[in-house]
Amino acid sequence: MKNSNTQVSAAVVDALQARLAYRIAGRLSESAETVDADVAARLRFAREQALARAGAVRAAAPAVVRAGPSAALLGGGGWWLKLASVLPLAALAGGLFLIQHLHTQSQIATAAAIDADLLTDDLPPAAYTDPGFVEFLKTPRE
Amino acid sequence: MASDKELSDFLKSAEKRAFKRVVYAVRDDHAALDVVQDAMIRLAEKYADRPPAELPLLFQRILSNATMDWFRRQKVRNAHVRNFSDFESSDSDGDFDILETLESMDALAGSESAAETVSRAQIMLAIETEVAALPARQREAFLLRYWEELDVAETASVMGCSEGSVKTHCSRAVHALAKALQAKGIGL
Repeated sequence: MKNSNTQVSAAVVDALQARLAYRIAGRLSESAETVDADVAARLRFAREQALARAGAVRAAAPAVVRAGPSAALLGGGGWWLKLASVLPLAALAGGLFLIQHLHTQSQIATAAAIDADLLTDDLPPAAYTDPGFVEFLKTPRE
Repeated sequence: MASDKELSDFLKSAEKRAFKRVVYAVRDDHAALDVVQDAMIRLAEKYADRPPAELPLLFQRILSNATMDWFRRQKVRNAHVRNFSDFESSDSDGDFDILETLESMDALAGSESAAETVSRAQIMLAIETEVAALPARQREAFLLRYWEELDVAETASVMGCSEGSVKTHCSRAVHALAKALQAKGIGL
């Protein structure tokens, strides 16, 4: 009876295929180990190039990750950068507070001077509310 | 993260088979070397921080993509339409029996006459020739599945197709190789 008529299950066929496939692959592996010397040299060069690129990428990546893009641009890192960025803001806030304080003190001093002049003048303050004084102010001087 | 030594060891272990695999596809040693170098550099630049266990699958995928890129460049350069997708041979395997072929090959392997008539180097050359003659997708599936020893799911992932397609490609490739090698009187 011919083998072509043999009934075999799909699993057996798969196993037979795999067995043959691995045998062929084994022969290919033997063949792959015997490449020409110039091909081997070129492959070694390619590998070295790839490793050099990997080294360059690794060397560049940690500095950027640690310090951030601004540090990479400025070439520095650490708390000096934080201080340098906070200091102008602090100086601005302090300046605004000082201006406000001086302005308030100036207004208080002006009001105190007016009050002092009124109180120390010979004319009593009640005189300023007298209707005759208002008329005096409205009368044009000659 | 793979160290420099681990990456170097992996590339060293994979480079020759990668070269052969690309040669089967592009059929030009210099072009194959360029493709392999391109794939190595892509792996090193983008995936050197991955664990060593992930490198083989990543490299196979990158190598497949680099080979496809080479074919695309050739297509543009030569203005020559080349069907790199799945194409099948025109001859029919309807009356072909894998079991018969394997038994025949087992018988050949067991006899001394086969080894005497065909030298080892000639057998290797014949196998390489037949592998190179396979349709592109069948060859890729066969090499990834049985040579690189990826499982079906990994092979499907690298090839960008379904697991069923991988099984079909592999089965057809094995049938075609068995038939061709049997015709040459080569037993394994």
